[in-house]
Amino acid sequence: MAKDKAGKPKPTFKKTLKEIVRFRGVYFIMLPAIVWYILFSYVPMAGLSLAFKTYKAKLGIWGSPFTGLKHFEKLFKDPRFFDAVLRTLKINGGRLILTFPFAIILALLLNELRMGKFKKVLQVTFTFPHFLSWVIIASIITNVLSYDGLVNSAIELMGGEYVNFIGNSKLFVPLVYITEVWKGAGWSSIIYMAAIAGIDQEQFEAADIDGASRWDKMWRITLPSILPTITIMFILAAGNVMTKGFDQVFNMDNAAVHKVSQTLDMYIYNVTFNAKKTDFGYSTAISMFRSVVNLTFLVIANTITKKLGGNGLMGGGD
Amino acid sequence: MSKKPKNYKMRFQVADGVILAVLVAFALLIILPFINVVAISLTTPKAYADTPLLLFPKVFTWENYETLFQDGRIGIGFRTSGKFLLMAMPMNMFLTTTVAYGLSRTGYPGRGLILKFVVFTMLFSGGIVPLYLTIKSYGLIGNMWGVALSEGINTFYMIIMLNFFQSLPESLVESAKLDGAGEYKILWKIVLPLSKPVIATVFLYYLVDRWNEWYNAMIMVRDTQNTPLQLVLRNIVLDSQNLDNIMTESVELFTFSAGIKMGAVVVTVIPVMCIYPFLQKYFTKGIMLGAVK
Repeated sequence: MAKDKAGKPKPTFKKTLKEIVRFRGVYFIMLPAIVWYILFSYVPMAGLSLAFKTYKAKLGIWGSPFTGLKHFEKLFKDPRFFDAVLRTLKINGGRLILTFPFAIILALLLNELRMGKFKKVLQVTFTFPHFLSWVIIASIITNVLSYDGLVNSAIELMGGEYVNFIGNSKLFVPLVYITEVWKGAGWSSIIYMAAIAGIDQEQFEAADIDGASRWDKMWRITLPSILPTITIMFILAAGNVMTKGFDQVFNMDNAAVHKVSQTLDMYIYNVTFNAKKTDFGYSTAISMFRSVVNLTFLVIANTITKKLGGNGLMGGGD
Repeated sequence: MSKKPKNYKMRFQVADGVILAVLVAFALLIILPFINVVAISLTTPKAYADTPLLLFPKVFTWENYETLFQDGRIGIGFRTSGKFLLMAMPMNMFLTTTVAYGLSRTGYPGRGLILKFVVFTMLFSGGIVPLYLTIKSYGLIGNMWGVALSEGINTFYMIIMLNFFQSLPESLVESAKLDGAGEYKILWKIVLPLSKPVIATVFLYYLVDRWNEWYNAMIMVRDTQNTPLQLVLRNIVLDSQNLDNIMTESVELFTFSAGIKMGAVVVTVIPVMCIYPFLQKYFTKGIMLGAVK
């Protein structure tokens, strides 16, 4: 991406035009994608203007009349909205702290394992659930935790009492965290495995000569060496605190846990697609709030990451 | 001195054992639910009710799958998902490859601006409500084309490809340009043949994403004859689960047995299971290439 701006004379308009003509092939090849970005990314962004309009089905998103800030006035008086925002921050803040270390632990353990072939098999197993949708995972989890599912059968065999996992609002958030680790820890560990593989082996050899134990080497060499990666991954994960986990919560949701599952994205969905009478203007106002807050978080996260010498937006696929 | 190495080795073996045990336990936690799901789908409801910890079907039957396919929705799911892959994948690959190639070239005016224009969409989006209304204003609601178009480019995957293209020697493109080759020709004849691993990675990411599509389809396509497989699964398993919670037992309601539901899970997982273990290295490759510089 290096571009030597220095030393070049300032391009004149005519020269720029000539350059554009010279590179017309490059612009042409990107044209379909740019049109796509405009039609399916930027036009919907412009559609956020509906937050200041009253939606009329006949007039559509562009023709509806502007009516000022009334949706935002309603929004900031809506206790369910504030609940949803707080719940999102709480669930995803807890998720960040409680589920984040598992990938690191997994990578450290896998790294210590000496059996090469078996390690491969384990890694395929650990990373596999990442590629299944939350629809599938939720179906499997619901089955395993159901009344006559695997977990309750095991509890019964050990003389315990049946636990209602799925319909218990107290267990919903812990289950969200556990299934997150179950599905994602293996995949997230890959980046740490790669960081560990990049550590200079001489450090370990020197430690061996000094008679360092395995534990010492892990604490004093491996972990400090991958600390920059850990920091960056943590900050980037923190940047997603508003939006993380909608797929998961949506599919694990059921009537019994509605009270604790209403995150901001769930609230937006329910207000928009599940209500008797939908006010698209109001929905858009919530959407706009979400997008702006999310942008703020992401920009902060990326700025910090770049200051720390990392690259921005890593792992943003999700 | 002669004893110390022995102790040293002993301690290693205990540690190895503990590490192995923890890792195997986690692997079993992942594998056992899948085995359980398969076993339930291959046995009778009675055998399932009678056997706690069902991991192997003692009473074997295909009955659940027969009922599942007779219901017809799974067939619709496979057909819709198959058609959806055929519409979306070529578009995904074309749009992603072309823009990644264009951005990998340097020295033309506006490159930085176009890159910013693209990366900004990773930071900010309208969200689902404006997207839905925009797609509606284009008249694309009600069929899978709207879904496919709304997911035309995953910018993160585009960056993976862009980073790879940038690592190729620039002289290759330059010399082809001197020979008078056009941009499409350079991309097709020179860049793509050298980029097979990253093309495979991004192709597989898109493939899995499109296979796992349900949310946009749920919102944009409300047509029971046009439901992708994941959504069919959701309707069969999760919605009936919700009904179980709400309805009292006195209300007669047709819900599938656990065996049929788990059969639906199995047929949805199998395609991913068939490709993932063999192509794992391509899947993991992308994670290292995905940074925005």
